[in-house]
Amino acid sequence: MTTVQVSHVSKAFGEVKAVQDVSFEVYPGEVFGLLGPNGAGKTTTIRMMLDIFRPDQGTISIFGGKLTEEKKNRIGYMPEERGLYKDLKLEPTLIFLATLKGIDEATARARLGPWLERFDLQDYRQQKIQNLSKGMQQKAQIIATLLHDPDLLVVDEPFSGLDPVNTRLVKDIIEELRQQGKTIIMSAHQMHQVEALCNRIVLINHGRTVLYGEVAQIKRDFAGNALTIEGQGDFTNLPGVLEARRHNGTWNLTLDVGVDSQDVLRAIMRQDNVKLERFEIAEPSLEDIFVTVVQHAGQEEAAHA
Amino acid sequence: MRNLWLVAKHEYLKIVRQKSFLIGTLGIPVLIIVVMGVGILVALGQRGSLPLGYVDHTGILSESVTPPAPDKGKPPVAIRAFVDEAAAQAALEARTIQAYYVVPADYVESGRVQLFFLDKRPGETVQEDFAAFLRANLLAGQPADVQRRMLEGSSVTFRSMDGSRELESENVIGFIVPFIAAFFFVFAVMNAGGYMLQAVTDEKENRTIEVLATSIRPEELIGGKAVGLMSVGLTQLGIWVLTGVLALLVATPFVPEVQGLRVPWSFLVVVVLFFVPAYALIAGLMTAVGGMVTDLRQGQQITGILNLFFTLPFFFVALIMAKPDSPLLTVLTLFPTTSFVTITMRWAMTTVPLWQLGVSWVLLVTSAVVSVWLAARIFRLGMLRYGQNLNVKTIIASLRGNGLRAEP
Repeated sequence: MTTVQVSHVSKAFGEVKAVQDVSFEVYPGEVFGLLGPNGAGKTTTIRMMLDIFRPDQGTISIFGGKLTEEKKNRIGYMPEERGLYKDLKLEPTLIFLATLKGIDEATARARLGPWLERFDLQDYRQQKIQNLSKGMQQKAQIIATLLHDPDLLVVDEPFSGLDPVNTRLVKDIIEELRQQGKTIIMSAHQMHQVEALCNRIVLINHGRTVLYGEVAQIKRDFAGNALTIEGQGDFTNLPGVLEARRHNGTWNLTLDVGVDSQDVLRAIMRQDNVKLERFEIAEPSLEDIFVTVVQHAGQEEAAHA
Repeated sequence: MRNLWLVAKHEYLKIVRQKSFLIGTLGIPVLIIVVMGVGILVALGQRGSLPLGYVDHTGILSESVTPPAPDKGKPPVAIRAFVDEAAAQAALEARTIQAYYVVPADYVESGRVQLFFLDKRPGETVQEDFAAFLRANLLAGQPADVQRRMLEGSSVTFRSMDGSRELESENVIGFIVPFIAAFFFVFAVMNAGGYMLQAVTDEKENRTIEVLATSIRPEELIGGKAVGLMSVGLTQLGIWVLTGVLALLVATPFVPEVQGLRVPWSFLVVVVLFFVPAYALIAGLMTAVGGMVTDLRQGQQITGILNLFFTLPFFFVALIMAKPDSPLLTVLTLFPTTSFVTITMRWAMTTVPLWQLGVSWVLLVTSAVVSVWLAARIFRLGMLRYGQNLNVKTIIASLRGNGLRAEP
């Protein structure tokens, strides 16, 4: 049974079509990436999933049916627009939010201790939230999302504001939850984190689904659209290349959709001021794929305009 | 329902733990205690311990004729006769009397007397004691019951034709309490409105609203906040009433006006019946405003105008005192936002007809229910609008049941 089934969903705000015919499914025990550039329609899709907005068209099924108040208690949601009661103390705030999710105060209190310890916040439980650092507040929000032990976790930018140590901690927790059979839907802009964590992704651009499937398969499909080059000279401004990045003396080139790597090789060889030492067809990173798809769509739109 | 109580408890504890609440709530009782204390000290000090002297040139005053002593409170000041001004002046300088009156020979015609004192003028109470002494002497030839009636005056009871209500001219508390209740209501409304607005915009400003939207129904959230704030209001009211009752009990032996007071039970029933829906109405309106705006400051500008609709009857105090049954006041009695204050203030001056109370209550309850319903819809609509105000078109679309049409 799917945990989440989004089927041909559309949503417009006046003249603006925020989401158009988006469909995807998320299964138990997987980390699913909901990706897209800013303003693509990710947050609107999440809000429709959680019954904050109602879709104009299409259907959404959560835990095998319509989202009820009882089912909401099985969801942990960390929105992008988030915060806590700044003038209240940490512990009562987290307990209050957990009890709203259907668990009793004693259970919430018992569960809170280990989480505070794990996030190194046990000494701040009686501190007002406004006195905590931004990173601490971010960790507190993650605890608020997890304290009622949800079966479905929807997290929007879970790593923002975290240092590398805590980023690792959150990644470990997400992986643990996945192993426990929980479903995690994650929206993030750090593509390397998505690549490391997600089994499958959906990429939304301008409200439409542009990529959907297993991360490994998508990368295989896009192989040939990325090149690794070493040599002397300038490898920017090559025809058919969307992006050229240099890292430790190695150039990573992202090709536009439909561009043959051999054409790029010929273009390089035609240049007099370059010396090629290595030319390799690379498996593209998710970030490369993201850039390729989004920029290609942008160029197409510009051409149609 | 469980979540409603959780929110109510959360809101209640959040507010009562604030310093501003403690200062605002305890400040008034402290003020009452200070005022009562000063009043008692003044009452105690007014008569002084020394007797009052007089020199009578009319020949009709007698030291032995005294007005009837009050049932409770401190007895009137002792009054001593002197044969002439020189003797009285000597006694005053020797400080065996606190002051003396000279009653001239033409007193009966002119009504004029003179008061002599050294450095401290005797208080009102001492002057009233001497005035009572003068009246008692002037009435000395009359039968005892006539004397008593003349000295105590008449007590008029106003009765409505249907016998539903009566008003006593001597019942001071029956006159004062409604006005105090009206003032306290307005104070409570201002307080509650401020808290409600803060409570509604709080989650928008601190951005917990989206998490709450997936945890709790908007009706539960708003209902919980309203219950929590009403509990805060009742706590505040309870503390004030308790302090007032204690202050009256303490003041009774010292302040004659407080003695013999009767509790106006029928008025208290009306207050309770009207207070709750009136509170719900203001809570609903404030929630609607809070749901429409993006932050507290914007809301405060609108609620300033809204508060006027509740305090409007205060602008007609003169009319309430002069013509408490005028058509304008009937309209204000029936209008939901002004009904509570108008009824309480009219209560002091006249008998408000039962039909007006009934119709007014029905209109108030109906408007309270509608305002809470409307507030819940607007609140749900405005819940996710960070940095955007709701426009009328969006609200109407929502009220027609078109679902949420918020801008992204």
